Amino acid sequence: MAEVSYRELSLNGLWKNNPAIVQLLGLCPLLAVTGSVVNAIGLALATCLVLVTSNTAVSLIRNIVSDAVRLPVFVMIIASAVTCIELLMQAFAYELYQILGIFLPLITTNCVILGRAEAFACKNGLLPSIYDGLIMGAGFGVILILLGGLRELAGTGALFADMQLLFGPGAADWKIVIVDNYQAFLLAILPPGAFIFTGLIIAVKNIIDARIQARLDSLKERPVKGSKRVRVTGTIS
Amino acid sequence: MRQVYDFHGGIHPPENKHQSIAAPIADAGIPEELVLPLAQHIGAPAIPVVEIGQKVLKGQLIAEPAGFVSVPLHAPTSGTVSAIEDRQIAHPSGHSARCVVIATDGKDEWIDHSGLADYKSVDRSELLTIIRNAGIAGMGGAGFPTAVKLSVKAEVGIETLILNGTECEPYITADDILMRERAEQIIEGAQIIAHLVQPDEILIGVEDNKPEGIAALQTAAEGTGVEIVVFPTKYPSGGEKQLIEILTGKQVPSGGLPSAVGVVCQNIGSAVAVRDAVIDGRPLISRITTVTGEGVNDPRNYEVLLGSSLAYLLEQADYQTNKNKRLIMGGPMMGFTVPDAHVPIVKTTNCVLAPAETELPAPPPAQACIRCGMCAEACPASLLPQQLFWFSQGKEFEKAEQHNLFDCIECGACSFVCPSNIPLVQYYRAAKAEVVQLRKDAEKSEHSRIRFEARQTRLEREDAEKEAKRAARKKAAEEKARLAAEQGSTEEDPIQAAIERAKAKKAAQAEGSNSAESAGEKLEKAVVTTRKRLDTATAKLTAAKEDGSDLVDALQTGVDKTRAKLEAAEKALREHQHAATTKEQPTEEAKPIDAAQVAIKKAMAARVADADKSPEEKAREALQKLEARLQKSEARLAQGKAAGEEEKIITALESTVERLREKVAQAQSQANETEVS
Amino acid sequence: MALMRITSPHAHGPMSTARVMQNVLLATVPGVIVLTHFFGFGTLVNIIWASILALAFEALALRLRKRPLGFYLGDYSALVTAVLLGIALPPYSPWWLIAVGIASSILLAKHLYGGLGYNPFNPAMVGYVVLLISFPVQMSSWAAPRGVGELPGLLDALQACFTPGNFDAVTMATPLDLLKQNNSLLMDDLWQQNAQFGRWAGIGWEWASLAFLAGGLWLLYQRVFTWHAPIAMLVALALTAALFYDGGSSASGGSPLFHLLSGATMFGAFFIITDPVSSAVSTRGRLVFGALIGLLVYLIRVYGNYPDAVAFAVLIMNFAAPFIDQYTQPRSYGHAARREDNE
Repeated sequence: MAEVSYRELSLNGLWKNNPAIVQLLGLCPLLAVTGSVVNAIGLALATCLVLVTSNTAVSLIRNIVSDAVRLPVFVMIIASAVTCIELLMQAFAYELYQILGIFLPLITTNCVILGRAEAFACKNGLLPSIYDGLIMGAGFGVILILLGGLRELAGTGALFADMQLLFGPGAADWKIVIVDNYQAFLLAILPPGAFIFTGLIIAVKNIIDARIQARLDSLKERPVKGSKRVRVTGTIS
Repeated sequence: MRQVYDFHGGIHPPENKHQSIAAPIADAGIPEELVLPLAQHIGAPAIPVVEIGQKVLKGQLIAEPAGFVSVPLHAPTSGTVSAIEDRQIAHPSGHSARCVVIATDGKDEWIDHSGLADYKSVDRSELLTIIRNAGIAGMGGAGFPTAVKLSVKAEVGIETLILNGTECEPYITADDILMRERAEQIIEGAQIIAHLVQPDEILIGVEDNKPEGIAALQTAAEGTGVEIVVFPTKYPSGGEKQLIEILTGKQVPSGGLPSAVGVVCQNIGSAVAVRDAVIDGRPLISRITTVTGEGVNDPRNYEVLLGSSLAYLLEQADYQTNKNKRLIMGGPMMGFTVPDAHVPIVKTTNCVLAPAETELPAPPPAQACIRCGMCAEACPASLLPQQLFWFSQGKEFEKAEQHNLFDCIECGACSFVCPSNIPLVQYYRAAKAEVVQLRKDAEKSEHSRIRFEARQTRLEREDAEKEAKRAARKKAAEEKARLAAEQGSTEEDPIQAAIERAKAKKAAQAEGSNSAESAGEKLEKAVVTTRKRLDTATAKLTAAKEDGSDLVDALQTGVDKTRAKLEAAEKALREHQHAATTKEQPTEEAKPIDAAQVAIKKAMAARVADADKSPEEKAREALQKLEARLQKSEARLAQGKAAGEEEKIITALESTVERLREKVAQAQSQANETEVS
Repeated sequence: MALMRITSPHAHGPMSTARVMQNVLLATVPGVIVLTHFFGFGTLVNIIWASILALAFEALALRLRKRPLGFYLGDYSALVTAVLLGIALPPYSPWWLIAVGIASSILLAKHLYGGLGYNPFNPAMVGYVVLLISFPVQMSSWAAPRGVGELPGLLDALQACFTPGNFDAVTMATPLDLLKQNNSLLMDDLWQQNAQFGRWAGIGWEWASLAFLAGGLWLLYQRVFTWHAPIAMLVALALTAALFYDGGSSASGGSPLFHLLSGATMFGAFFIITDPVSSAVSTRGRLVFGALIGLLVYLIRVYGNYPDAVAFAVLIMNFAAPFIDQYTQPRSYGHAARREDNE
């Protein structure tokens, strides 16, 4: 494996190969629990932790485990990590644990985690793997939180409600009411809202990509007119 | 009253037939120049049989058919052939095509011609020949050679002969006026055609918007057994398939011919042309063409000589250039715009339409398809035009074909009703063209795939044969080596022997004792192999020629080259033989005794000597020998390795050493055993 | 002389998309008049406000998509969506409710999918369902009809729309709500005890339904659509209702007549499911499409969570339309019946 560039890894995890809006992995929790910011943060943290843990473990054992049994082993590792996180949440953020419900244990089946274990951690050293887990988790988490914020705002007209579930009683007054007397827009909080807002986020990302591409193209050197033609094979588009 | 059926869909566009039907047929006269395209029909273009400057008479053959599906061409009036060249013709694509141009002399002089007094007395095939020689092609619009259509096999069993007097296209009245003025001739033509195809019934289908024509036909048909069937007006009931369904209730199978349901269908104009050809001996040199639209002040039907230009005809009808922006050949539904008013009238030109802009406005820009389904309701072929449009637009041609794109008759009913003004027919035409192209490409690639695979299997087979031969040779060599080893290698190393053999041979060659002969043999061999090669190459070439393969050229040059080589080789051989005879014959005894033979003899002698020794001694001796050989081999191996010899040789040496070691071990144990015993 | 080159056909029929849409708009007039008569100016205000918003959103979307404004606004399709949604919404709906609905219809259901002709779902119904899911309270409060409560005037209606906080409409349950909540009374008793609903399907409702039926029949006469889908839907609904009528017992789902004349049945049958873009295309396909909608309407009305069901039924069947098309391709001229080649 060639030298891993941390810059490249960061760019990949956060933008170019973002697990949530480019790879579209782990859509189930993404769509199901992003009704509010606090849910999103909870799940984002949990997922990120599991990613880091599993990537670490997988990277450590990558030379010991044979190819034939690697998938079960990875899943076992992930499941153990998830169980740990679940127990931790149960201990320290019980209400949130209850709200996240089934989606917490379901992190095990989140394709992002297995995907990173399979695609990265089992081929790379410890430090890059940890970093990859962190940055992929961050990329996933950012989208979760963004989606949670958008949906909470559209659905209730407020932001950061019920933060005490995660950050203790001191966080109870973090709630910001953006629009007074807001008529609850249930659709945004219900699953259809998740689909619609995810779609919009992807669209915005594509617009930005297209703009960047256009700018890059315009910066590219134009071929000089009358210059010698180069013979190429295949179709020229 | 006969039962008439309905077909799916159809539309009722404004008919506008009154414009041109009021006046009787007028003679368009003789223009100064007639331009006669060689392809006025479906099929191969005719081949001109006149020369530039040649004088022709009216009705004289000027081009003969090129094949079965083709028709001849006749001079529409007397004059001189002034050119045979490419001229712009009336075709949707606006391209040019080869035409015979006649400068008319105005005398209108007929060539000698005569008809048949009694067509029933002549043979069927002779009648068909007359029709074919008269140059008649379907006058309804498609222009399929009439004789081909009529030459149905007797065993097909035609139940119904249908004459198409429907003329469902708006504006056109050419058939209507024909019925009004020449009803008897239509009936006569119908009877001649009936005589040819022997149907159970003869029907003439007419839409109910032509009462006068119907009345005239009915009077003429009195007592002839020809039945006039009148049915409600609806576009496109004049389509062959639609008319057959209306009159018989049967549908022509997709991709099939009307004869598949026992029907032959002819336009009434063609019937009149057949009658003229058979009774009067008059070939097809003029036709009835409607000139109409608000762009002409005097719309009516003209009997016009083929090859007259549109401009000439329009002039007769008092054409208003300022009023008109497009000229349509054919009707408003299926006609096509011509690029230029100087294109000629051909056998299929039933109408020249010069509409005012307000009359047939240019289509507004197309909007999105809202899938309203009006097109599906209007489609006479029960297709789903909106889906076809969808697939054509998305280039999903497979799906389009699955939705029977090729059953579309391009009648334009869907475009007519489309509220979004989508040029649907245009999309279908483009899609059809692309599918046809794709099919061709697919066929081609399939062909080359088969060829490629055949070549591949042949190469593989040859490789396998070669491999088998090689394996056999190797095996034989191994066998030989083994035998040699068993027999003679007890004291002499086979490699050493081989080297010695080679040395001996070289020495012999150096002596030059047999050089002449070997050179001669070589030359002879070269000649034989080259001849063999030539033979196979020629065989291949003939095979390729038979297949029509495009490799013929390459093979040809190959054969030529091989032949040249063969000749060179033969020449060399001859020269050599000539030289050899002058030389003295080499002696057989000069050959040295084969080294191997010496070795074998030696070994045999050793064995005889061995036989006297005790087994113990024998074993020990053998062991010693083997050890000595092992040492020798090992030394050689080391030497070879040091000298950086070829890998092959080293491996060979290594294996030899290995084998010898084994043998030594074996011999040692044997020796021990014998000692013990 | 330069001659114009155009491909055939050169003649064109009188029908245009704009005219189709205009006809649909015209056909809603009787229904709107009846609704206004029975429920006051609420519906009218709905329609007008929805139309203004629809044109604005349409223009915005066209501008964003860089399409010529005049050409596309001229097809009236946005207006049709607005009018249909305006009719479907409860009278005296607040302005923002309508705005959200129209935004969902025009932006989400129509232009995100590519504009007129490319939307897989009926835009008006998408808007309606978005509202129904998001704001169940506002969406289920229908004004009381004439004769039951005081009818608000035009000014009140405007106030209800634009300053919703200051307006208190007299609302009451619709007949469908009543039926849904009924679990002990025989049908006859139910209607006798709730005399304000009249005999068939509720005061106002039955007449509005009949008015929409009249408008629909006129559209049929104008050949804007074929009879297949609406008739199939009505027949399927009536048959299912008859099947489960159960002699008017307390477990009855309501009489066929009740189902035909209440709620959005007629409006849906002639104005919603006939939207060609999102429905099946062949006549056979439209029969299936309509019949399944009829069946679904009954099932959702009687067994579902929501009192009326046309919107949901239509959206579900919009999903199924391409599938129906796949299996109802008509037999083309000269092809043997398709059964054999499917085997």
